[in-house]
Amino acid sequence: MAKNKKVHSKQRFITNILDYSISLYIGTTIAFLYNYWSETTINPWLVFGLSTLLYLILIFIPNTPGKSLYTEKESRIKFFSQVYHYIYSALIALTIVVGWIMVEISPVEFFTGMDGTRNIVRGLFTPDKTIFWRMVSELIKTIYLALMATIFAVPIAFLLSFLAASNLMNKTWLGRTVYAVIRTISTIIRSIEAIVWAIIFAVWVGIGPFAGMLALMIHSIAALVKLYSEQIENIDQGPVEAITSTGASTLQVWRYAVIPQIINPFLAFTIYRWDINVRMATIVGFVGGGGIGLQLFQKQQMTDWNGVGTIVWLIALAVWIMDMVSAEIRKKLLSN
Amino acid sequence: MSIIEINKLNKFYDEATHALKDVDLTIKEGEFLILLGLSGSGKSTLLRCLNRLIEPTSGGITFLGKDVVTASPTDLKSIRSDIAMIFQQFNLVKNLTVLTNVLTGSLSKHTFFSRWTKEEKETALKNLKRVGLQDYAYRKVRNLSGGQQQRVAIARALMQKPKLILADEPVASLDPATADSVMNYLGTLNREDGITVVCSLHFLSLARKYGTRVVALKDGKIKFSGTPNEIDDAKFKEIYGEDAEEVEIR
Repeated sequence: MAKNKKVHSKQRFITNILDYSISLYIGTTIAFLYNYWSETTINPWLVFGLSTLLYLILIFIPNTPGKSLYTEKESRIKFFSQVYHYIYSALIALTIVVGWIMVEISPVEFFTGMDGTRNIVRGLFTPDKTIFWRMVSELIKTIYLALMATIFAVPIAFLLSFLAASNLMNKTWLGRTVYAVIRTISTIIRSIEAIVWAIIFAVWVGIGPFAGMLALMIHSIAALVKLYSEQIENIDQGPVEAITSTGASTLQVWRYAVIPQIINPFLAFTIYRWDINVRMATIVGFVGGGGIGLQLFQKQQMTDWNGVGTIVWLIALAVWIMDMVSAEIRKKLLSN
Repeated sequence: MSIIEINKLNKFYDEATHALKDVDLTIKEGEFLILLGLSGSGKSTLLRCLNRLIEPTSGGITFLGKDVVTASPTDLKSIRSDIAMIFQQFNLVKNLTVLTNVLTGSLSKHTFFSRWTKEEKETALKNLKRVGLQDYAYRKVRNLSGGQQQRVAIARALMQKPKLILADEPVASLDPATADSVMNYLGTLNREDGITVVCSLHFLSLARKYGTRVVALKDGKIKFSGTPNEIDDAKFKEIYGEDAEEVEIR
């Protein structure tokens, strides 16, 4: 009995929380619309009070969204049986209206403002042929930038990934600590966009491809540590057990039982990372990372749309080829 | 002369899982000891405690007079190098060649950086020849059948020049004919090389054919110890439960 009562009070709690949240949301969205159209500002406390009033009204109405969670069909009073449907419809309608205003959606602009882009589109389709070879060399610079970032990231990520694999590190207290620290740092580094790293390194070592490489490298290390260590966690433990039973040392076990199992997936991830780095190198170039991205940024600043056209087509071609080649190699590596 | 002495061995995986209960067992040199028992009766746990792939909770194990339970990491490695192990799932490194897999049996004699010697490679090839796989030395293990893989595992075990072989259901993943041939190799090693074998099995017929002694486990306790021929219908039902029927494989 006592347990039933507890469940009941929990249900009542959830019911009230849901209904009150909905009341607050309706109150604030209506206040937002009122502010927008009347260009005044309502006292927030008034909004709060009116929302609470709405909630108090809902208490006396059966089958509000909150109550409908736990009511049986039979006990619904007919007249109000659709109340929660009305409230949900109102919520969706209000959300769309408020969202439309907030995001400043303007179909008129969309269909009438095309004229301004005519130059850009024309530029894209009549690329500037005179800068072609210079841009090819910038593109090659970008590909090398991405390659160097990958090459430097791989050995560091490789070593760290063993320390970030829970199945190898969960045996001792020290191991678990190292695991947690490396995983946390790599998550933080990954969550900071490469473009932010590029800005940091552009200040640090000056604008140019080196800054871009450092930005991609640090991001690649963090990403590869995650991919590599997850691969290590998924290996077959059988050979590890077998090699351990021969009297081999921990390092020997890693070398003969772990590495042979992960080498092909590691290569696949590495090539995939290089592919991603080529794409990111363009963006990183925008903020001072050098290479073709910097050229794109400059041409765009000078509104040289024919130049932008040349660059965009070159990037598209490079990304397309990288994409195909890397997909093909990865398929080969992972199939055996 | 005894090779293994087990004294009041207990293993708890957690408070509720008492896998081994006061196991006392002496294994003599030259024996071919068969461990019988249902899945979950503690056979694998017992085998793995002997080389401490699993840490026992309490009790003592000595291997040729050396204390296994309290051995330092260095001592443990030297004990392990004298005890080879064979597994149900073969546990070979599938991306490496057969020869490299066999050579890993001698890792305990190496440092991280040292390379295989010429003599070791010759020994490895000789061991492969013993299990009839000399032509497969340079193939990747993944391309071999189950029976062939288990024979590679036996060659790897031989590489350790072991005094004791622990076999954890070595034939449970194999068809009957292959199972018998793998057991035959183990029997040969036992008789010709004098290597003591402790082997867990599910089939009584194989136990009768190869075992010199049978030890049966039930719920982590030793229920029976004696020669294979002593296991009659009553004993069999005691080990495997009232509803069990003996299934012959030939």
